[in-house]
Amino acid sequence: MLRLLRDIYARRELLLILVSRNLKIRYKGSALGFFWSLLGPVFMILIYAIFARILRFSKGNPHYFEFLVVGLIAWQFLSTCLHDALYAIMGNVSLVKKTAFPRIILPLSMLLANLINFLLTGVVLAAYLLIADATFGQMLWLPAVLLSQCALCLGLGLIIATLNVFFRDTEHLLGVGTLAWFFLTPVFYSIDLQWTALPARWQWATFLNPMTGIVCAYRRIMVAESLPVIPGMALSFAVAWIVLLAGVMVFEKYQSRFGDEL
Amino acid sequence: MDAANAIVVEKLCKDYRLKATATRSVKSAVLDALRGRRRASVLHALKDLSFSVAKGETLGIIGHNGAGKSTLLALITGTLAPTSGRIDTRGTISSLLELGAGFHPDLTGRENVYLYGATLGLSRRQMRERFDGIVEFAGLSEFIDQPVKHYSSGMYIRLGFAVAVEVDPDILLIDEVLAVGDVNFQRKCLQKMDEFRGRRKTMLVISHDLGTIQRISDRILLLDQGRIMGIGEPSRVVGEYQALSRRSAARGLQREWGTGEVRITGVSFSDGQGRATEHFRWGDALEARIAYEAARRVPNPVFGFAINDAAGRLVFGSNTQIEQVDIPHVEGKGVLSLRIERLSMAAGSYLFSFSVHSADHLANYHRLDNHFPISIECDRTFEGVYMPMRWEVQKP
Repeated sequence: MLRLLRDIYARRELLLILVSRNLKIRYKGSALGFFWSLLGPVFMILIYAIFARILRFSKGNPHYFEFLVVGLIAWQFLSTCLHDALYAIMGNVSLVKKTAFPRIILPLSMLLANLINFLLTGVVLAAYLLIADATFGQMLWLPAVLLSQCALCLGLGLIIATLNVFFRDTEHLLGVGTLAWFFLTPVFYSIDLQWTALPARWQWATFLNPMTGIVCAYRRIMVAESLPVIPGMALSFAVAWIVLLAGVMVFEKYQSRFGDEL
Repeated sequence: MDAANAIVVEKLCKDYRLKATATRSVKSAVLDALRGRRRASVLHALKDLSFSVAKGETLGIIGHNGAGKSTLLALITGTLAPTSGRIDTRGTISSLLELGAGFHPDLTGRENVYLYGATLGLSRRQMRERFDGIVEFAGLSEFIDQPVKHYSSGMYIRLGFAVAVEVDPDILLIDEVLAVGDVNFQRKCLQKMDEFRGRRKTMLVISHDLGTIQRISDRILLLDQGRIMGIGEPSRVVGEYQALSRRSAARGLQREWGTGEVRITGVSFSDGQGRATEHFRWGDALEARIAYEAARRVPNPVFGFAINDAAGRLVFGSNTQIEQVDIPHVEGKGVLSLRIERLSMAAGSYLFSFSVHSADHLANYHRLDNHFPISIECDRTFEGVYMPMRWEVQKP
């Protein structure tokens, strides 16, 4: 593990170039640049908000819109990472086949680019919340949840990137899987909805879904939601870090075979 | 690893799994498992290779297509992993594998140069220092800010070579770069390679240009079907390669067919003194002993032969019928001998074909085309088949 980190550090210039290339592609070639990357999620959020109101998911929650937006933006970070991970290796075939460098740099650069995008979106969101005079919660949790979500995204990204090299229909499985996961995570509904379906003994199990704890943590920070979820959050974070470990192990084991498959 | 060596390859094996279908999917993997389909066949690209390259040495690598040369270079670079065995290298490695440098088509030449340097671990500052030299060597100052996808293959390889060399690696691996590019570029390449050799850098070069590769290599490695067929002094190994080529070209021309009532089981050649050989001097006698086997009694067979040159042209052919040699019948095993008193063909390689057929030419029992190579040496450089002749200057 240490050797891996050292190898990555030795190639930090490459990491930098890949991240900036990624960001340039995202923002170049379109007149509005950064705003386009916001506009998409904004429209999506509006649609969800309207739909949720019609279906009465708001359940008398006056801050439903903020509640929803925070969850959706956090989810967006995850789903973008998962989707981009499909092409972390497959989109760089020439580089992988012709030059030797630690392959893990490719998914890592993807994560960092998405993280930067997420942070920028987060800043805009924070600005909106300030204007809307929402109450913020415990900022203390912010680094922990951010790092844990990065761990989750990177871990899953590594696995997806590897799978897509060997199995070209990973994309379809991912689509279905992500959709199911979205509904299992209390993004557009509150977590107590899940709890009502479970006996009290098993309510902690909802936090085995790492995104559950992550979304709850963001809400705690951004909209001061005060449900009793701290131990659950810790469990979710732990799962996220285990996923990272698993992802690194899988990727490192199979990365030497990428050259054969591409 | 011995400090004098830059590269050590030990018992290197590389297998490829040949897939039944073009792309794998989870769906097909599951279906295959359920149907109990056998695993796909395996291609042994490299078989048990062991050799070493000293620091500062230039090793040329030659061999037919499919011999495993590019695979070997990719393994040493590190873009492929060995199936078994090991490769140890000392120093930074810069490679041009199969005319590719890993350039991304949407990025400009400039961006790709920095990208390439970064994959080798060079900092931005280091690349900036070398940048002008690279662009000048490649002769691409006008186009360096164009996306690489707009480059011609010549431009692409010029930039690739320029950057691979200018990053100043300890080991340079070049695959077929001399095949593309005009005369000027080739001259610059060779000059650069000479400079590299002067600075005691290690180089591995794959090329089909036998003349050039002999000139620039300290040693040459000959690969054939994944094995080392020779390694050492350049002209000797090139000679082995040419002999190998002849044998496989002959194999390519070989054909065999027939009803099988009489079968030719073997042919051996000897010279006028009865010594077994396949190399003759012009004017020598040649004797061929043709072993045959007839399952039943076959009446009036005709045995024939033909000699084709290396280009596949018929030089001379005849048979027992034409020569009015009667063979009443054959039954069981036997041997027939053919004696040519004077081999009159020009120097070169030739292929013997033998056949046995019925007297009315309607049934072909066995025919072996181009199965038996011989070679002929001659001091005189006439062409074709020699005929006794004389020049005489006439008075006007």
